[in-house]
Amino acid sequence: MRWLRSFAPRVALLVGGVVLVASVGGAGWGWLRAQDALRRQLDLVLATDAEGLLRDYETYGLRGLAEAATIYARRQGPLRVLLLAPDGRPIAGRLPGAPARLRGFVTLEGEEGRQRLLGALLPDGTNLLVGASLVPVDRAAAALAWTPPVAAAIAATLALVLGFLAARRLEARLAGISGAAQAVMAGDLTQRLPQSGAGDEFDRLAVTINAMLARIETLVAELRQVTDDIAHDLRSPLSRLRQRLEAALAAPRDAAADSATLEAAIAELDETLATFAALMRIARAEAGAGRESFAALDLSALVADTCEIYAGVAEEAGRVLETRIAPGLFLVGSPALLRQALANLLDNALNHAEGRITVALEAGPVLSVSDEGPGIPEAERDKVLRRFYRLDRSRNAPGTGLGLAMVAAIARLHGGRIGLEGAGGGTRFIIRFAAAGVNTPEKVR
Amino acid sequence: MRILVIEDDAATADYIAKGLGEEGHVVDLARTGKDGLFLALNESFDVIVTDRMLPGPDGLAILRALRASGIATPVLVLTALGEVDRRVEGLEAGADDYLAKPFAFAELRARVRALARRPAGPAEATELVVGDLRLDLLRRAVTRAGRAVELLPTEFRLLEYMMRHPGQVLTRTMLLEKVWDFSFDPTTNVIDVHVSRLRRKLEAAGEAPMIRTVRGAGYILAPPG
Repeated sequence: MRWLRSFAPRVALLVGGVVLVASVGGAGWGWLRAQDALRRQLDLVLATDAEGLLRDYETYGLRGLAEAATIYARRQGPLRVLLLAPDGRPIAGRLPGAPARLRGFVTLEGEEGRQRLLGALLPDGTNLLVGASLVPVDRAAAALAWTPPVAAAIAATLALVLGFLAARRLEARLAGISGAAQAVMAGDLTQRLPQSGAGDEFDRLAVTINAMLARIETLVAELRQVTDDIAHDLRSPLSRLRQRLEAALAAPRDAAADSATLEAAIAELDETLATFAALMRIARAEAGAGRESFAALDLSALVADTCEIYAGVAEEAGRVLETRIAPGLFLVGSPALLRQALANLLDNALNHAEGRITVALEAGPVLSVSDEGPGIPEAERDKVLRRFYRLDRSRNAPGTGLGLAMVAAIARLHGGRIGLEGAGGGTRFIIRFAAAGVNTPEKVR
Repeated sequence: MRILVIEDDAATADYIAKGLGEEGHVVDLARTGKDGLFLALNESFDVIVTDRMLPGPDGLAILRALRASGIATPVLVLTALGEVDRRVEGLEAGADDYLAKPFAFAELRARVRALARRPAGPAEATELVVGDLRLDLLRRAVTRAGRAVELLPTEFRLLEYMMRHPGQVLTRTMLLEKVWDFSFDPTTNVIDVHVSRLRRKLEAAGEAPMIRTVRGAGYILAPPG
């Protein structure tokens, strides 16, 4: 009875049982009510007939009444009539087991089953009795009363059968989901829950859980990647530092050389710490830290300001920084982080690309920074946004390899997305901010 | 100067106290938030340097208590690595400056000096004067010995900040933060570019240099000679 532990048949069993008990209980009460109602109807018929006979008596006298009673008896219908003389002697008609001198209604147990009688005493002492058998009434009441429990029994049986089938189906669906979940628990994060294609609530649940699994898979992959990258990118400078200090310690003491060694060591450590700080800022941005201090800000002014600062830097480097900034674009966000995102993109264009740099801010808001450098191969476009990923040609350029990852994290923190596309040989970085984060200037205090 | 340092990490506390002591300052050291708050409320200091994370009341709680008691002593808050987004929170609580650990001692020294020597009423001044250099805040015009110096808005903001702190070492990080609100370190030499452009404009007519580079630390603006 393993299937009884399943949800659907338990519900079916419960519902069927309740229906069955309620209808059996209701049957007794229903039988009494039906019997009572039918008896009343019979009484009405008896009274009407008695009334007709009395009218015959009034019109035609006792003789006429006796004739009517004889006709009733001859007809052998469901109604019986009996006329008794004042001494109890039958005058006409037939009604077995009838008592003498009956007035009003009475139910009697006769040789042909229960019967209902109505008696009336005529002014001359003659007793008129009208009666009918109660057997058909009882039979009809029983039939009426037993219909619901029989139907309930059939329904309960059907419910159990359907419950059993539903349980088998449920079990099959859940076994698939449970199996996939167990595979995920065992470490296979690529597993996804199966879908039947019916689009029912199970499929919708599976879609949600699959989206969650995909997110977990990405996060775990990123975490693994970051752990590997940290190990690699921080181990090399620390190993270099250790070798340098060890060599300096082994060499004879020389104030000038020692100072140089210590200064170089501090410089190397500062770089490592800068990498650490950048990693933590990315981690905090990705965890959503700082969102609580978001405020409405004039993105157009912020972009213009930052570009103005960088215009001089570009000029000194023999480059041109062009801007196309739509005025009055507002955004809810962190000014410090947005400024850093743009500065990182500009640093990237200055350090790793060539030619004219174009910063454009359009309604959306959409911020883009384009260069005329050698471009980034399509296969590597997603990778350059990862932590520590550097193109081969940029290995020796300044930077921690974290700038673009920070930009991506800042874009995500502001509900935006960063994308890359080729732009006439160069590269264009595009940040599309979510429209939900946008505020019209009117709403800004 | 008398400086209160509130720091629970013994190595960092000693490092700061020793460094500031060698500069000729008198340093009081508190190892817990409770001691620090007691000292800050009951004695008079020129500058208070406090860690943000402390046992007992933390740095921001001390700061709020001080400001609530009407004590306006400049406070420098030290924070853990990478928590720049907390900077705003600290400044809103009444901090005068914010510095992330670990830091170069030169950075701390420059910031403590800048805090201690804050001009009394900088907001009311309409003209800043250093030697023969004049900066008119209302007309946004700069002259050197009567010669008009044309500056871009970026350069004007840089010069204004430097002229508000004459004779003090201003680190690159300080300039980035205070002049342009950059709470990060760009990989391009933004500061050096702007300082050298400013320098060229200030010395265009062959005048004596006013902006000096301090190796490994930053820049000083001072009258020549």
